[in-house]
Amino acid sequence: MASLHWREWATDPEQLRRLDLLGKVPLFAGLSWRQLGKLLVKLFEKDYAPGETIFLEGEPGKALFIVLDGRVSIFHAGHGAEERVATLAPGAYFGELALIDDLPRSASARADVHSALLILYKSHFDDLIEGHSTIVIRVMGNLLKTLAGYVRAAHARGAGHVATLPEIATALEQGEKPLERPDR
Amino acid sequence: MNRVRPGDATKGAGPSRSARLTPPPASILWGVAIVITTLLVYVSRELVLLLILSAALAYLLSPLVRMAESAAIKRETAVTGLFITLVVTLLLAAYFLVPRLRVEVNALSGNKPSFTERLDEAIDWIQKEIIADYPAARRMFPEREARYDRLNAFIEHQTANLPNLASHLATIVLAGVLIPFFTYFLLRDSRRIVQFLMDRLPPAHIETSVAVWCEIDRIIGRYLRGLAMDGLVIGVAAASGLWVLGVNYPLLLGAFSGLANVVPYLGPILGGGVAMLIALIQFKSLAPLGKVLMLYLVIKLLDDVVIQPMTIGHSVHLHPLLLIASVIVGGHAFGLIGMIIAVPAVTVLQETTKLMLERRRYQAGLPDTHPRKGVPVQPFVC
Repeated sequence: MASLHWREWATDPEQLRRLDLLGKVPLFAGLSWRQLGKLLVKLFEKDYAPGETIFLEGEPGKALFIVLDGRVSIFHAGHGAEERVATLAPGAYFGELALIDDLPRSASARADVHSALLILYKSHFDDLIEGHSTIVIRVMGNLLKTLAGYVRAAHARGAGHVATLPEIATALEQGEKPLERPDR
Repeated sequence: MNRVRPGDATKGAGPSRSARLTPPPASILWGVAIVITTLLVYVSRELVLLLILSAALAYLLSPLVRMAESAAIKRETAVTGLFITLVVTLLLAAYFLVPRLRVEVNALSGNKPSFTERLDEAIDWIQKEIIADYPAARRMFPEREARYDRLNAFIEHQTANLPNLASHLATIVLAGVLIPFFTYFLLRDSRRIVQFLMDRLPPAHIETSVAVWCEIDRIIGRYLRGLAMDGLVIGVAAASGLWVLGVNYPLLLGAFSGLANVVPYLGPILGGGVAMLIALIQFKSLAPLGKVLMLYLVIKLLDDVVIQPMTIGHSVHLHPLLLIASVIVGGHAFGLIGMIIAVPAVTVLQETTKLMLERRRYQAGLPDTHPRKGVPVQPFVC
């Protein structure tokens, strides 16, 4: 009983909530509690006011964003008008391609309401996976599943024609449901 | 053609009030801010040095706090627990090591005859040894009286500033109290400070700012932790080697060598020099002196080839000339502490400038200075 009381006193409920949320992020599915803890201490947190831009299309991207609180919309500048392509709730993530390449963002992100985001920078991610083969296998596996889902979605949308590279790139950035398997 | 703006008609013919109050360009404001900050830092440099030392200590301890934080333990609890553990460890170390060190210090300082006389005697023995082997060398050495006077004058000159240490005693005691105090709060609140700054940064600059912060954090953290580990290994190796060679005060000399090692280039020379001086007085012969020299050369070689790549690694990418220049300038500006912090400070400056230039080049659409085939331009390192 005393040990339980001590554990409650020493544990940070906010960190526990973040750990719990990280555990539900599809990209980190399969990681142990300890591995998620290592990831958690590498994250930055930033608050965004309603309507505040998180990043703009065309900007260089070097970070993955995870929605901790609030709601975020992803916009894509189509033919002149801005088109909302996804709305993300707590637990969702976006900008994951920044962990792989250094190409500019092909969509914009904006906070709909007051939102808190966790930011994982590429070099921190690289530091984390360096020498941790289990983490690499799990995260890269999850990332590949996500990318495969995006490619299939792009292919299904353009039924009848083979998707070009720019179309696939656009689809990759628009992936509002990372683990959705549109072909099934 | 000038456009007529609303409200222009109501203004007089002379220079308007708003024109007179036009703020100066941002570059001038930045320049003034930098000059004022530099002056403030210079005026309060003792406090700044204490803060730098505290930050260095906080960097050394931060991985332990992060380890606790990753297990969802409250940061305050982790830092307090760490400090209690450190105090207990230091007390235990003091209980076991201080009496031995005190014996060595007392033996070193209290032995009669005086240090100059013993050194002179040792030099005399070595001269005799050389002259016995090479009689022609007799002409190279001065008479004993002349040498003794010169040696005495040299040691007096070198130790002339030692009484000033007593006047700095208050500062040393204050540092002993303030450094742990600052370190505790820096460790406890560093995340909050970063969070505070992050929330005040405009989103347009967030990625650049965090990239720069990541790079600074990575360089300083790796360098300081590596340096501490390197010093520890060198200290243990020197103490063990001197103990095996039978040199007096191995613990004291090992501790000194480990501490001196934090000063790039000069540290190993200083550590080895003091050990050779002690060996010279103790053995009054060239052969043991050669063994001590060999020991320090082997340690230096091992340090460069094995220990440093494992501890400090590739956290510092300074050209050797820039490295030496930064150590000299740091020494002139802030003394010993300046020599220690010069390398990470210049590395941080170099990496930050590189990042900002890369970012500017990327925004201006200029080609990468080091294009890699098939690899896109990378605006950030971090």
